[in-house]
Amino acid sequence: MWFADSLTPDRTALAAGLRRRDPDLLDHLIVQYQYRLFRYLLCLTASRETAEDLFQETWFRVLDRGDQYTGKTSFEGWLFTIARNLVIDLHRRRKPDSLDSLEAPDVPADNPSPLDEAARRQREGRMEESLGRLPALHREVLLLRFQEDLSLPEIAQVVNAPLPTVKSRLYRGLEMMRQEMGESHAQ
Amino acid sequence: MRNDDHARARHLIDCEAVEGLERDDREWLDRHLESCDACSAAALATERAIARLRLAPVTLPLDLAARTQYRVGLRAQEALPRRQTWALWVSVVLSWILGIVSAPLVWRGFEWAGRYAGVPSVWLKLVFGLWWALPAGLAAAIWAMENRKIEEQ
Repeated sequence: MWFADSLTPDRTALAAGLRRRDPDLLDHLIVQYQYRLFRYLLCLTASRETAEDLFQETWFRVLDRGDQYTGKTSFEGWLFTIARNLVIDLHRRRKPDSLDSLEAPDVPADNPSPLDEAARRQREGRMEESLGRLPALHREVLLLRFQEDLSLPEIAQVVNAPLPTVKSRLYRGLEMMRQEMGESHAQ
Repeated sequence: MRNDDHARARHLIDCEAVEGLERDDREWLDRHLESCDACSAAALATERAIARLRLAPVTLPLDLAARTQYRVGLRAQEALPRRQTWALWVSVVLSWILGIVSAPLVWRGFEWAGRYAGVPSVWLKLVFGLWWALPAGLAAAIWAMENRKIEEQ
């Protein structure tokens, strides 16, 4: 069994399954983490198309390098680290720069009706507009902390930065987010 | 109320969200917020901003998981024969090395058996050659069969 119950991941069994490249386990993980991983990639790349490509690429990496997951750390931390490294690789290929250069999220449609699209844009747009104005490094830690509920050490592992740096980004990001949302609320 | 108190309260409001508060700080902040409208409004603004962030909706692309599962499955299937071929080549190389190292010893064994059974030297050399080439021949045959299977797939 991969999980002791449906919500509590058994890391050792997970690591063993990934080493075996267990197809059922991978299918299960793809479904389980699809929302969180896509949201994280969207936050980093600011493009649905790129986020979708990197989403698939992330799972290829999980398949190819599953034997590197030991089960000593959380799976989501490992998964987000892979995703983040892919984003950085992509941006290095496009232009030798860091996550700072990422722009505000642009959310094009897949193929929804104009009405659906308008409604979705209204819902998502306001939040993403506010978030999109924040620097990517701050946006990222805010998302990992408050959307993904990762602990501070886990965030430090994912973003490959010391704990004080993570805290500093979180405090600064929180302040900027409050200002942005206050402004967008007032508009 | 001193300005320092407001600054401390603002810091603790953020601290609570980011890393949590000690009990003493928590109690001090609660007391301060009860008596300070401005800091109380700041605490509410922080709470709302985080709540909006937590609840921010993202629409997933259509069939994202299913398409990913399909592509990951295909890749896993492609990788499997590659892994088997790799293992096959390693065993071929090992068997050749072992064959070369043990060849003089085995030839002596063949010579002794040939003399004992009275088999002509030509036959001995032929059988010895086969013994030496058989593993490589088998490996080549398996490899060709695997390649054919992959091409058919």
